[in-house]
Amino acid sequence: MRASPYLLAIRGLSKIYSGVPVVDRVDLNVSSGEIVMVIGPSGAGKSTVLRCINRIEVPSEGDIVLAGVNMEGEPRNGKIVPDSPAQTARKRRQIGMVFQRFNLFAHLTALDNVAIGPHRVLGTPLAEARKMAAEHLDRVRLSEHMAKRPAQLSGGQQQRVAIARALAMRPILMLFDEPTSALDPELVGEVLEVIQGLAREGMTMLVVTHEMQFAREVGTRLVFMADGRVVEDTSPEIFFTRPAHDRSREFLRRVNSRQSAFDPV
Amino acid sequence: MNSFDWGVIWYSIPYLLQGAVVTLEISALAMVFGTVIGISAGLLSLSDMKLITLVVRAYVYFVRGTPALVQVFLVYFALPEFGLELSSFWSGVVALSFNAGGFIAEIVRSGLQSIDAGQTEAAKAIGMTNRQGILYILLPQSLRRITPPLTNEVITLVKSSSLLSVISIVELTRAAQAIIAAKFTPFELYALLAVFYLVMISALSKLSEYVEARLA
Repeated sequence: MRASPYLLAIRGLSKIYSGVPVVDRVDLNVSSGEIVMVIGPSGAGKSTVLRCINRIEVPSEGDIVLAGVNMEGEPRNGKIVPDSPAQTARKRRQIGMVFQRFNLFAHLTALDNVAIGPHRVLGTPLAEARKMAAEHLDRVRLSEHMAKRPAQLSGGQQQRVAIARALAMRPILMLFDEPTSALDPELVGEVLEVIQGLAREGMTMLVVTHEMQFAREVGTRLVFMADGRVVEDTSPEIFFTRPAHDRSREFLRRVNSRQSAFDPV
Repeated sequence: MNSFDWGVIWYSIPYLLQGAVVTLEISALAMVFGTVIGISAGLLSLSDMKLITLVVRAYVYFVRGTPALVQVFLVYFALPEFGLELSSFWSGVVALSFNAGGFIAEIVRSGLQSIDAGQTEAAKAIGMTNRQGILYILLPQSLRRITPPLTNEVITLVKSSSLLSVISIVELTRAAQAIIAAKFTPFELYALLAVFYLVMISALSKLSEYVEARLA
């Protein structure tokens, strides 16, 4: 197999639940440094694509290749020899993931939520892992909250801890699965700011989001999905000004009318 | 109640105290071994190796599906067949540990599985193996939920130890029965026996309340 020029190559990805394809033959190539915004109506399969990339969900069909390495196993004579669970875990380290519902470890402080990955997975001594964790939390401006448990933090703070936790593993790709959908409106901004900061630093990422303004401003690329398929794969500017498909236009119309309905001006 | 013989009560207390010591010894040992077996089996029941989960399920299936009394006899008569000659005392400890282990395995498994699936996903996402996720994420969070049913199991264990009277271990129940055989005072002795068990189990309940509060 030739080395792929892409950091992430998704080929023919399908996920089928009891006969229904939730994700239907998706192809997507992502180059290093790209910020891919994935949008679309609910049920479009956006989250499932993300969850298949790091194999939290096992794909029904298709290949996912990260930095030239097949996430499923080692190709041999045209066939894939599946990885052991331990090998899959090892490959996952390279991919950071941020969840809609944060999923911080409820029994650990913010500091230890960030430190536990490097400590337990990478074998970094605890003191050193905590020192690095403190730096990561400082970057998301949470230095004052390091000793708190998740239940003592606001949603926005929890999500920033979750981002720090993912970054502590030094991933080469970040996946954001609707990172602001569970937040109170006034807390959305602080999380988007952190993601925007990461974008500036050149982190490659896939962001499933319903924040259209954010997708337009921060994304370098826009993927519109519907019914498990990629309908449009273009630049945010073109998508929001000249969408090519009826599905896209219909989606944008709905999104716009929803936002304008609450627009006081 | 006129015929209640207080004399035999005073006479019996020292003997029953001796029996109670044996009951507590066996219960304590079975509690330690049963908890070790149970927690190990409970953790292994979530293994990603199918064979291991099958073995654990077969074990739990057997323990739940057969009476404790039958298990006691089985251990007592079966172990010598396999060349393992144990005293009655240790046969009793093995039988009770085996029994408690099966129930504790179920308690631990359901405790682990009651933790939100998002915790497991987050553990996977930072590259933890299944084993690491269970040990470092699920187990610490489920300890508090596991404690109350675990206490119940320990109480059941102390009461089940009375079954060991059938394999001639002079624990509390057997000690009472020996006196009944000699003095023909079943009412007095069984009443006293009940008080002995009540006192021991009340003390256990207090202890577990304390442990639960500490885990809170």
